[in-house]
Order: sequence, then structure tokens, then C-alpha cells
Amino acid sequence: MTDAAQSILWLGEVAGASLIGGILGSISGLGGGIVIVPVLTIFMHVRIEQAIGASIVSVIAVSSGAGSVYVKDRITNVRIAMFLEVSTAAGALLGAGYLAGHINPGALYILFGVLLLVSLIPIFAKLGEELPQNVHNDRLASALRLNSSYFDKHLGRDVAYQVTGIPWALGIMFAAGVISGVLGIGAGVVKVIAHEVAMKVPTKVSTATSNFMIGVTAAAGAGVYLRRGLVLPYMVVPVAVFVLIGAFLGTLIMEKMSNSLLRKIFALILAVVGIQMLLRGIGGHE
Amino acid sequence: MKSSESPSNDAVSEVSAWVLRIGVVLSTLVMLLGIALTFSRGRISVARIKSDPFNYHPSAIWAGILRGEGKSIVEAGIYLLLFTPIMRVFASFLVFAFHDRDRVYAIITIIVFLLTLAGLLWIG
Repeated sequence: MTDAAQSILWLGEVAGASLIGGILGSISGLGGGIVIVPVLTIFMHVRIEQAIGASIVSVIAVSSGAGSVYVKDRITNVRIAMFLEVSTAAGALLGAGYLAGHINPGALYILFGVLLLVSLIPIFAKLGEELPQNVHNDRLASALRLNSSYFDKHLGRDVAYQVTGIPWALGIMFAAGVISGVLGIGAGVVKVIAHEVAMKVPTKVSTATSNFMIGVTAAAGAGVYLRRGLVLPYMVVPVAVFVLIGAFLGTLIMEKMSNSLLRKIFALILAVVGIQMLLRGIGGHE
Repeated sequence: MKSSESPSNDAVSEVSAWVLRIGVVLSTLVMLLGIALTFSRGRISVARIKSDPFNYHPSAIWAGILRGEGKSIVEAGIYLLLFTPIMRVFASFLVFAFHDRDRVYAIITIIVFLLTLAGLLWIG
């Protein structure tokens, strides 16, 4: 193959993976690494660390691009995001600054995979439910005024909701931070689980709010990758640009979707990522 | 006004949305400018894409920009993107502290801002 043809093929593959990653990432609140990392490593033979480096930048792009839409449309709960970010950021710093050299990544991948698969159970239990019922603010949620409302384009009306389980959510968010600090992945799935299962907010609010948060976690984690030379500038640009286009397309789809369909998509991704993490842990990293 | 939706949430949402929008648009334009400049001096091979490292020192990037190097401009664009969520947190802090005068959330956001900045610049 000629050099030019090779470059065009390369760009096409990156563009495709990034576009799909951006759409899925902005719909589900997970970033986009779940599509980009496997495509870059398996099909394009990029080293896993460099693929994760590109994916961290893409997470920031999806979080910011889709976030600007979800925040403007008031689907994101900014207070929840800010409050829980303290916990995640502390966990991420502990993970990246201290634990990274001291714990076995394989064991953490397995633990992570098990955590995701176990959390499928409560999500399956309310798979068809459109909006959470009988949720009342707990004390912290009232003190911090975390309850809110959003306009649901699918239902065509305002949806007011309350928030519970804050201590659990803080713990889960701390774990999400540690996981992303040690493994260099956004751990957006864990954030959605905290919103969805512990705090019982509507699914759209849960994915939009974790989408908003992952950018901050990823930015905190990105420094390590920059300093180790694992962010390749020329690779990052097409990834970032196409992921952004995908992220904007994703916001158009997500806002019109029903909460129950969104939860089904999330459950499917959860299962895939859970198995992926288990395999990575068992198979030693790849 | 509904009890669940305070006006403060609106100000912080509005400002956050704008910071994110500006950050995304600006960083994309800078990255594309850098790519265009690199291309104007010859093609980029796949081998180079996979090996050219990120020169993360701000002084090195600045020197490269002054020399008109495409790669340094790309790197500056990536930095702009990485700083977008952090600037969003800082802007929220300003809104909570000076517009809403909400002490609890001002403290929460400044902690997040400092922890995130530490992660991006120093720790790990």
C-alpha cells in the first residue's frame, strides 16, 4: 500500500471509531474510551497506554462538548456533580499519586469487572421503569439542595426528582476516582451506577451528570499520561475532532430517548465493559 | 418559582455551558490550525503519528509556537482542551462565591479545582 493510501485508511478507521465512541459516550455518560481503546489497540496496533492516553483526551472532549448541551438544557444536575467531584478527585489523586505503584492492576481490573457485573442486578430490577418512584431526599441531599427538575423531551413535561443515598454515592465515587487514578480509565460507568442505583435520580439526569463529571476526573488523570509521553499529539487531533462530532449527535438522540431505553443501553454497555475488565484482569492487561 | 430549582443553579449552569462551549471550539480550532501548518510542510506518515511524542513543557511549546511549528500548536490546542473542564470548575467557583454568595458550594468547587489542578500539573 502506498503511504498516502495507508494514511487515508488510518484516518478513516480513527474517524469511524471516534464518531461511534462519541455518540455512545455522550448518550451513556461514559466518555467513549470503551470503543476507542479496543479499536486503537486491536485493529490499529497502538500500544494500550497510548490508546488510553488518546481516550483520556477524548473523554474530556465528549464531556465538554456534550456537557455544554446538557448543562444548557438543565439535564445535568450541577450541584450533584460539584459535590461528588470532591470525592472522585480525592480518590483519583490517591490512586494516581500513591496506589498506582503499590497495587496489582490485574487484581483491580478483576475487582472492577465484578463490581460492574454485580451492579447489573439492581439495574435489571428496574429495567422497564421510566422514572424512579417514591424517592425522598435524605438529610445531606436536603442540606445541599440536590433535588431539582428537568424538562423531558420524550415525556414532553417537567420532571421533578429528589435524591437519596448520598453517603453510598460518596463512597462509590471515591472508588471511581481510585479506579481511574490507578488504571487510567474514566470509570464513567461507576459514576452512572452511583447516580442511578445509590441516588435513584432519573436515568437521563444520571448519564448527563456523570458525563459532566468525567471531564474533571479525566483532566486530573491526564497529567500523568502527558508527563510519560503517552499522549501522541497527531493521533489525538482526529480522535478529538470526530469524538466531538459524535458527542453532539449523541446529545440530539439522548434527549429524545425514553429513560427506560437509555437504561437498557446502559445495562448492555455495563455488561460488555464488565466482561472486558474481567478478561483484562485475568489475561494480564490486554 | 419551584422550590426545587433555585436561580443560583441557573447562573452556574449558564456560565458552565459557555465555558465548555468556548473551550471546545477554541481548542478544536487551534488543533486544526496546527495540523494544517504541519501538512503545509509535507505529509504526516502513520509511523510518525505513532511515534511523535508530546512535548508537555509549556516553555518548549511556547518556543515551538514562536518558531511556527505545527506540532507545538497542536500541543497548545490539546492543553486548551485539557484545561476546559478545570476552567469550568473555576468559573463555577466564581459564580458561587461572588454571584450567588453560596459559601458551601464555593468551598466545594475550590477544593475540586485545586485537586484537579494538582492532578494535571504535578501528581503521579
